[in-house]
Amino acid sequence: MSVTVDERVTDEVEALEAILMDDVVIKRVGDVPDIIETVVHPSTGDDIDQQFVCVTLEVKLTPGYPDTSPEVTLRNPRGLDDELLATINSQIREKLNDCLGQPVVFELIELIRENLTESNLPSGQCVICLYGFTEGDVFIKTQCYHHFHSHCLASHLIAGKKYYQEELEKLPNWQQMQAPPYQQTCPVCRCPVSCDVETLNTAPPPVDSITAPPFCLTDELKDLQLKMATLLAEQVAKGGVVGMGDTGPPPLTITTPADNDDEATNGTSSGSQDVNKVDATRNGSSSNDNSSPGSPSSRPVYHGPYRGFNRRGKPARRGRSAR
Amino acid sequence: MAALPRRIIKETQRLMQEPVPGISAVPSETNARYFHVIVTGPEDSPFEGGLFKLELFLPEDYPMSAPKVRFITKIYHPNIDRLGRICLDILKDKWSPALQIRTVLLSIQALLSAPNPDDPLANDVAELWKVNESEAIRNAKEWTRRYAMDN
Repeated sequence: MSVTVDERVTDEVEALEAILMDDVVIKRVGDVPDIIETVVHPSTGDDIDQQFVCVTLEVKLTPGYPDTSPEVTLRNPRGLDDELLATINSQIREKLNDCLGQPVVFELIELIRENLTESNLPSGQCVICLYGFTEGDVFIKTQCYHHFHSHCLASHLIAGKKYYQEELEKLPNWQQMQAPPYQQTCPVCRCPVSCDVETLNTAPPPVDSITAPPFCLTDELKDLQLKMATLLAEQVAKGGVVGMGDTGPPPLTITTPADNDDEATNGTSSGSQDVNKVDATRNGSSSNDNSSPGSPSSRPVYHGPYRGFNRRGKPARRGRSAR
Repeated sequence: MAALPRRIIKETQRLMQEPVPGISAVPSETNARYFHVIVTGPEDSPFEGGLFKLELFLPEDYPMSAPKVRFITKIYHPNIDRLGRICLDILKDKWSPALQIRTVLLSIQALLSAPNPDDPLANDVAELWKVNESEAIRNAKEWTRRYAMDN
């Protein structure tokens, strides 16, 4: 295979390297340029803090380039929603057709940059609250180009630190000494971030969350719940909700001493057909008990006879019984 | 009951409007933070054909802390114990508020396809899974047939 590279390509690559310097990566196969990669930002002068969106442009040169179109891919979009990406992609296709026969990478970078500059406000939602970003919102861009309402990110970082402390205190002393220090991470990509939580925490909550009407049971939701209840009833009726109404074991529910007391007084050792009813009671009584749902302490819990584990001749059960 | 965060309402509506294949999550009529869940056993796993019931609860500070999820249907799996508790990092230290009910349930479904006996919760199951995988898989299929299938 010939290794002569089209002069137009050589010139283009040289120019790219001269202008973009470290911001462009040229991957070569042997001496032949193969893939050109660069991260495109909006034009904001030198003010990097004001760049809220970016995208990685990857151009794979085809053997006939520039007389044939290269393969262009946009990767790692940040702050850009699917709609905007689709727009940019279709503009790229047009540009490729218009520019057949001449180097096109600079044109592509310009085209993408123009689009980013126009939309230099993160589109999409804050993944923490699922609200969008609107006028008046205080938001932050992490080093990894993910966006959150400052208020939301503060809540995440405070909760993360609290979790870390709680877990640390569970460790024996010698392990506490060796534990790595707390590191803030991005909720989306887990990259380390460093933010001043106190400043973030002074930000107001997302605008949409204040202006949104308070939650009330809309007809739509009632309708949904009705459908869900019907679905569940159907599943129970045909035994699709497993563990119920058959000879199998009852649902395994973690119990606490408090539950045992309940059981003693209520005598609720009903058959497994009653599980659904009990389920509903349990949910009702737990609506205000959000502290430890995994081990409900205040809800009546179904304690059917425990059977089944030894039916297959397994060794006797150890540890906590699942009464 | 305290106002339900709009995030939970949004998630609920999306779960209904764009359900995840093989997974249904239905909020209880009496408590919008409590979900009845059914996960179907993944194809080409010993749990294929099974319908596994789980319960999922969104704690007060959700999404800052992880949902509580538990299997109600018995399942023979090295990372799920006899109380239905699940050993999954994203339910513990790897929780992130960018995760949602749907992504959590997808991860649990993926765990059924990829048991990890090196990080066991059910020790006896994990042990057998390591020393005699084919017998462990037979057990898992048998439990699926017995506990997680119709009739």
